[in-house]
Amino acid sequence: MYNLILTGKLEPGTNPRDALAGLAKLLKVDDAKAREIVRNAPVCIRRNTDAAMAERVVAAMKAIGIRIQLEPVAAAPAADGLAGTGVGTGVGTGVGTGEVASTAGAANAVSVAKTTNSAASAKPARPEQPSTSLKVIAGGKPAAANPVDKAQTPDSQQTAQAPHTPAAPESFKGFRYQLSGQPDYCFISVEIPAGETIKVEASAMASMTTNMLMKTRAKGGLSRFMSGESVFINEFTADTVPGEIGIAPGSPGDVKHLYLDNEEVFLQNSAFVASGMGVVAESKWQGFTKGFFSGESLFLIRCSGQGDLWFNTYGAMIEIDVAGDYVVDTGNIVGFTSGLDYDIQSVGGYKSLFFSGEGLVCRFRGHGKVWIQTRSVPAFASWANWYRPVKKK
Amino acid sequence: MEVELIHRPGNTAARVSLQPGEVCTTESGAMIAMSGNMQIETTTHQKGKGSVLKALKRLVGGESIFMNHFEPLGGKGELWLGTALAGDMLVHELDNEQLIVQGSSFLASEQGVELDIGWQGFKSVLSGENIFWLTLTGKGKVVLSSFGAIYPVEVDGDYIVDTGHIVAFEQTLDFSITKAGKSWLHSFLGGEGLVCKFSGRGTVWCQSHNPQSFGSSLTPNLIARKA
Repeated sequence: MYNLILTGKLEPGTNPRDALAGLAKLLKVDDAKAREIVRNAPVCIRRNTDAAMAERVVAAMKAIGIRIQLEPVAAAPAADGLAGTGVGTGVGTGVGTGEVASTAGAANAVSVAKTTNSAASAKPARPEQPSTSLKVIAGGKPAAANPVDKAQTPDSQQTAQAPHTPAAPESFKGFRYQLSGQPDYCFISVEIPAGETIKVEASAMASMTTNMLMKTRAKGGLSRFMSGESVFINEFTADTVPGEIGIAPGSPGDVKHLYLDNEEVFLQNSAFVASGMGVVAESKWQGFTKGFFSGESLFLIRCSGQGDLWFNTYGAMIEIDVAGDYVVDTGNIVGFTSGLDYDIQSVGGYKSLFFSGEGLVCRFRGHGKVWIQTRSVPAFASWANWYRPVKKK
Repeated sequence: MEVELIHRPGNTAARVSLQPGEVCTTESGAMIAMSGNMQIETTTHQKGKGSVLKALKRLVGGESIFMNHFEPLGGKGELWLGTALAGDMLVHELDNEQLIVQGSSFLASEQGVELDIGWQGFKSVLSGENIFWLTLTGKGKVVLSSFGAIYPVEVDGDYIVDTGHIVAFEQTLDFSITKAGKSWLHSFLGGEGLVCKFSGRGTVWCQSHNPQSFGSSLTPNLIARKA
């Protein structure tokens, strides 16, 4: 027998709106009710279900992109204690099987302390009594809990429960953020829980609450300096209370958010905007042949590790799944995943090299994603070149 | 050739899907990405219809005399097109009509469309803007780009458009360069200078912004270049 817990997490790549609509349809409730359920996640949606039925529900929910956790009922009596929940800090409630909890706990051992921070807002999260606890939540939850925001940032909801292990209360995974003004003039606002830090490209901070402390760091040393990117990355830390920071990328365009889970992403040198502290951004020498001829820069920025990553474009963003090979103009590359190999080459014959106006292109091979931008800074700059005043002799 | 416009209207890109054997002709420099099997050929003329004279005419017209022709090899292919400036795009289907396009607004065309520099004589020179006109004839799709949004104006009778705001117009319209105001003095002082006056029946597509005005507004902020 199992209890089915709606964790509030989405399958990767799911549009939160679709998921919400799917949930409403599946549970035969209206949108507002479905939102209510998601807002109160994690919540038990079905109790004492046999294995076969549980499987079916999980499959149906997975189809619409919603994750369900199975909790063996036998474990229920042990779950009498309160699971810590950080409301409004991006920390989810712990509910789940011991197995899930222990992996999550191991991966995020650092952040155990954080849950203590939010212990003040801890709520009884026992799924066995959803009706009562939901009321408590509804009353005690800070206004920040806009259901749509929450649904849009599935990554900020980490769920795990530790009925048996005290170390289980989980932790901080990803910031809660919002993108506005997409796709032409995207602006990012990120909620920073107390004590947390975010790395932001120098001069990209547009606004912030007064409790944010700024520290400037020259990260990456000389190579970063040479990559053309400013040497400085600023670190913003929320002191004792949660804060908020608004980040405006330098060029008008779109912003993409990724949650890196020990993955690697390469960015063109001006694309980096902000990241969590777990992400290491470093310049990577492309080599002379790749670098010089790309006309861009000798360096790429390699982002790896674990945490949020935001990067921006000039113009709108197009995501291309590469399987095989794909060609992108060097001025339009934003970034690509590590599964791809690339080289720089000319297009067509000698005539194309000089006269096509395309110059050199980048040919990607392998499997992965490439992000491209619909406008290119070099192309705009060469257009503007004609309008430069002419120096008198 | 299928054309899909995405991220309209501010940062539009055109996604062109080509079947085997189809060829797409684009303005030089318009390609931003393409599938790996795409072959590119650069010529001074319409594919298969070489003419030095036409190339020379294009040179005189001020346009880059080179065009790129894209053709997928061994299967379907896709091609993404973008522009240097922010703005919208327009897909127009020609059916043995003539369309006159302002040179920098031309982005791409299907194989059945023929391109020619339309020599508008002193009209072009007089218009003051650095404008040349392309005459497109034949059958097939044409992709045009603009700086800012594109809006069509149905002309029946007379209509006046500032020269920098014209994207394209149907050949059924006659156009002449004229002054915007009643007197020449007022026209120039008013900053409008010369305008295009269309007469007849047909459609004019206009762009909401004038690239020349934008460029001139940047001038004071740019570093001087050597002549």
